[in-house]
Amino acid sequence: MTETSVGVPMSGTDGPAGAALEGAAKVLRRAANLHTALAGLMLLVAVVAASRLVPGLYDLVRSVFLARYGGVGDAALAIVIIFALVNISALLVIMVSVLAREIWALPGLLLLMVVNLAVLLIMGYTPSLITLVFGTWAMLRLLRAPNLLRINPVMVRELRGRMRGARAFVVMTIYLALMSGFALLLYVVFSTASSLNASAATGQIGRVLFAGVVGIELLLIIFIAPSFTSGAITGERERQTYDLLRTTLLATPSFITGKLESSLGYILLLLLAAIPLQSLAFLFGGVSETEVILAFLILALTAVTFGTFGIYFSATQPRTLAASVRTYGTIAAWAFVVPLVIGFIVNLVQTGIFGNANAPNAPGLEAVLNYANLLLTSTNPFATAVQTQRLLVEQQVIGLYSVTLSSDGSTIPMISPWVVFSTLYLTVAATLIVLTIRQTQQVDVNS
Amino acid sequence: MTDLIIETRDLVKKFGNFTAVNGLSLEVPAGSIYGFVGPNGAGKTTTMRMLTTLTRPTSGQAWVNGHSVTEEPRAVRRAIGYMPDEFGVYDDMRVWEYLDFFAACYDIPEIERKKLIDDLLALVDLSHRRDDMVDKLSRGMKQRLSLARTLAHDPSVLILDEPASGLDPRARVEIRELLVELARMGKTIFFSTHILADVSEICSHIGIVEAGEIIAQGSMEDMRAQIQPHREITVTLRDQEAVEAVKAIVSGVEGVMGIADLEPRAGRQRLRIDYTGDDEGVADLNRRISAAGIAILGFAEETKDLESMFMRVTKGIVT
Repeated sequence: MTETSVGVPMSGTDGPAGAALEGAAKVLRRAANLHTALAGLMLLVAVVAASRLVPGLYDLVRSVFLARYGGVGDAALAIVIIFALVNISALLVIMVSVLAREIWALPGLLLLMVVNLAVLLIMGYTPSLITLVFGTWAMLRLLRAPNLLRINPVMVRELRGRMRGARAFVVMTIYLALMSGFALLLYVVFSTASSLNASAATGQIGRVLFAGVVGIELLLIIFIAPSFTSGAITGERERQTYDLLRTTLLATPSFITGKLESSLGYILLLLLAAIPLQSLAFLFGGVSETEVILAFLILALTAVTFGTFGIYFSATQPRTLAASVRTYGTIAAWAFVVPLVIGFIVNLVQTGIFGNANAPNAPGLEAVLNYANLLLTSTNPFATAVQTQRLLVEQQVIGLYSVTLSSDGSTIPMISPWVVFSTLYLTVAATLIVLTIRQTQQVDVNS
Repeated sequence: MTDLIIETRDLVKKFGNFTAVNGLSLEVPAGSIYGFVGPNGAGKTTTMRMLTTLTRPTSGQAWVNGHSVTEEPRAVRRAIGYMPDEFGVYDDMRVWEYLDFFAACYDIPEIERKKLIDDLLALVDLSHRRDDMVDKLSRGMKQRLSLARTLAHDPSVLILDEPASGLDPRARVEIRELLVELARMGKTIFFSTHILADVSEICSHIGIVEAGEIIAQGSMEDMRAQIQPHREITVTLRDQEAVEAVKAIVSGVEGVMGIADLEPRAGRQRLRIDYTGDDEGVADLNRRISAAGIAILGFAEETKDLESMFMRVTKGIVT
């Protein structure tokens, strides 16, 4: 590494150490592929099982993949699918981090393996073995070149620039001022409206304040996150620094992850800064810690996923303006238009068929409509937050619960939307990161 | 012949129907200062972009330091330091951070970077601006900082696109001196320019490019030798009649390559004779004209410089 004299190539990603990194990444990708195959298989099983042609299929799944899980078989199937999707996303993200030579690649992989081991021990989730075996294999390869892992230079540079001067603090001040003002407004309006029965209303005030702050925070994040990332690559092109970077030894994955880390790091700072404001609700009661944690999770995942939307279009579009327009357009379509329009239709169908006294006996259709509703709720962060909180407050449900079908009185397992939301958003984000890297490399070759 | 550090063979780059580089074959010896000269739009930048792995050639081959630009781009990137003609500014960085960032992009470990940055800044004489913001620097300083950036990973070849364009005379001289200094340190310097004074003062080799093709290339000595026998004689005469007479006399003489009318100056007719003979022949020409009884107001031989050579070689194809 230190040998830099003329003509002698420095060890880099194309030396034997680099080959170790690439080998580790390949192993991780294989593990992700296996999990993908498993998830696909489980979806197929779900379709077959739902048709009730093969009895006992759910229990087979449970005994093979979730031996220690005590719940019903069809809930077990859902858990297997969700775990598989989480594993896919995590493995893909760690694969990218290995290629980008991120310093957190090794601890990240270790953490994933520990989580998988825990799930294996607690619930008997056997597909964890895929991650454990391949993870160990990748780890062994990684350990051959641990000195190649480093702090991302792009992230360091971006954060230095971003935090310099007044701009970063002005943005944060405006953001906090907006939310504080909004919270104050909510408080004033709500407390005067319910001033008569003060003691009963405090819990209500707390809940309204919390929901209001999280709501406006979500709205701000949806606008801020893509604006940070949609100029990430196009901005370099416009400043004519992109060619400089491409002639260095900086690998594309490093470039992309560095950009993502710096913008998401700043957004995370904004989210953390707003937690005291959310916690104001504790003064009035009516809000639990679980709600605060779940709200933070939904906010963070919204920021990450919409941030990756931005960077994806920044890689495919030549100009920042075009990238921004496409990013916001896609976000609007994905999180608002599609769930609203289709959700409206699904609801219409559902109430039309099952909403009256003489509902037809079609449990299959009703179950499908219920799941479609869940999926549509989970694409929109607002709907997810509202529905999750409703379940938490009214039924004390965090994860799984069951819904009784009006058709034949049978029950189907349902999941609180935040779980589906998290899995969905994590999967989309991981896929987009991989696509962005591929896209950037392709554009470079073709130019 | 010394080792070639940059070599291209029949390099072609097409953008749609437009051919930017048309079968270009370059030979840049190791350790040389190579001036890549040509008018704007001749394909200089496109060639450099292919050599720096930024653009893939449509056809043809190119090697830098023995590595193919299409097969082993990372090895090529390690061997080159590239400075494009526009300065890429991160407006929110300090001078040392700018160098630190690019050094990190070249995988230089953090513990070595501080000393490296100090050395580089001292080399380009910017040590006193270490903590200033990059966009506050003058153009000449930015250019020097850029040059320091290209040196971060100790490359063997510097590929510089118009390093002296847009600089004031003083900054241009400074850059020129830096290039000579770097060549003395063993770097090969391959730079494009359309300023011929730069070339004649510092280059050891030159390649002239026109419409995507190399018209002439070689060492400066070879080039000078090629044009040495060729002389341009300007004859100043009183009137048009005398001009015709001189033309009649001179046109038959051996060694006269061409006769051209120049713009009359101060009412005097002027004539240019391209001649390839020696001193004796020049004297003889003078004698012949005098012998015909024509009054000669001026008879001057012009020293040939690079500019006129350039004009001659690119004659007719200049776009």
